Amino acid sequence: MLRFLRAFGLFTAAALGTAASPALASGDLLVAPTRVILDGSRGTEVVLNNIGTEPATYRISLEIKRMTAEGGLNEIAEENVTAAERAALDMIVFSPRRVTLPPNQPQVVRVGVRLPEGTPPGEYRAHMLFRAVPDAAPATGEPKPASEGVSIALTPIYGITIPVIVRVGDLGAEASIGEAWVSDTQDGPAFNFDLTRTGSRSVYGDIEVTRPGTPEPLLVARGIAVYPEVGARKVSLRVPDELAAKLKGPVHIRYTEDREIGGGTIDEAERVVK
Amino acid sequence: MRNYGMKRALAGAAIAALAMNASAAHAASASGTATAKILRQITLTKTSDLQYATIISGATASTVAVSTAGAATCGAGLTCTGTTTAGNYTVQGTNGAVVLVGGDSSVTLNGSLGGTMTSTLTYSSPNITLSPTGGSFQVGGTLSVGANQASGDYSGTFNVTANYQ
Repeated sequence: MLRFLRAFGLFTAAALGTAASPALASGDLLVAPTRVILDGSRGTEVVLNNIGTEPATYRISLEIKRMTAEGGLNEIAEENVTAAERAALDMIVFSPRRVTLPPNQPQVVRVGVRLPEGTPPGEYRAHMLFRAVPDAAPATGEPKPASEGVSIALTPIYGITIPVIVRVGDLGAEASIGEAWVSDTQDGPAFNFDLTRTGSRSVYGDIEVTRPGTPEPLLVARGIAVYPEVGARKVSLRVPDELAAKLKGPVHIRYTEDREIGGGTIDEAERVVK
Repeated sequence: MRNYGMKRALAGAAIAALAMNASAAHAASASGTATAKILRQITLTKTSDLQYATIISGATASTVAVSTAGAATCGAGLTCTGTTTAGNYTVQGTNGAVVLVGGDSSVTLNGSLGGTMTSTLTYSSPNITLSPTGGSFQVGGTLSVGANQASGDYSGTFNVTANYQ
């Protein structure tokens, strides 16, 4: 009986192995929370979990990203950072920087801030990158004879970034909603609007688009930020065709603070979507 | 698939347990109120690789393109065999969250028998809005194949990230 069970165990392991292999899931990951704000000296924790089917080694690092007017985040090489960005990289401390995790094993990453004496007031930000170190390129066996052409193996190193924001001093900011329109992109229609920002820090919150008289929102987009390096950005959200058609006409757009800090209105506006 | 869901559930439970530990510690030192905080999470899962399959080069330089939908266009003078796929990534997190996605715009591949090739990379969208079941994005590319490109296994690595704002 025992032998049967063992054999059965092996069989299921083999079955699971084959079931899992098409997904090639080594390096899949979970990160929580999705945003870190540090004000004062108390640190926080970020959880990294290996949600893949194989053990994986993850590297944790900080990088500088700048927001573009189009609403993207451009990665900035370390040699091109400004003094304030350099200060952000230096003041955010975290540990560990590298960890090997078996499947479904969470790891706490401690994040703190070490403010040098006399740091000028302002918002300092870096983006914490969690990514798996890829396995060595899989052995492809026999080299191909000259007649067999070329075969290609591209290995993605994929990961997640979350912003780590340090606020020094008493900061404030406001935002206002500009024009809204529907456009066509190569991948389908998009709902767009402009968002401008003033003040000494970033703004962050949720967007809700409603049609006057209809309680159900047409569109909800959470986690939209305008960072201090830009005074204005475009928010462009891919929407299905039928929603794009519905969005045209008079709408109410509301930009609210994160629900976790009360959800107060940052700005709201009536717009006619073209 | 069931196995997968189970795993996800376990991951969620682990997070909740960790979060509870953390707030229990805070509670002891601060106010004495016990709260359990569920952290917002994001997951990134690769479900397929960008694959150009096997190519037999011709007498003139040409290209092979794989669209973000996975369709291959084999350039003039080339023979392409095998199944091509676009890279596919699944993101899960808070319903309605907007996640910026993207990565390197090109990659250099080194051949096992010498020689190099380059591939440009394209992404299906600069951002995705997560539905209750998450969202996904795809990576396609165009591979430049030289005239009489040296045979061999070509490999290269490129970066892909999902970014919260």
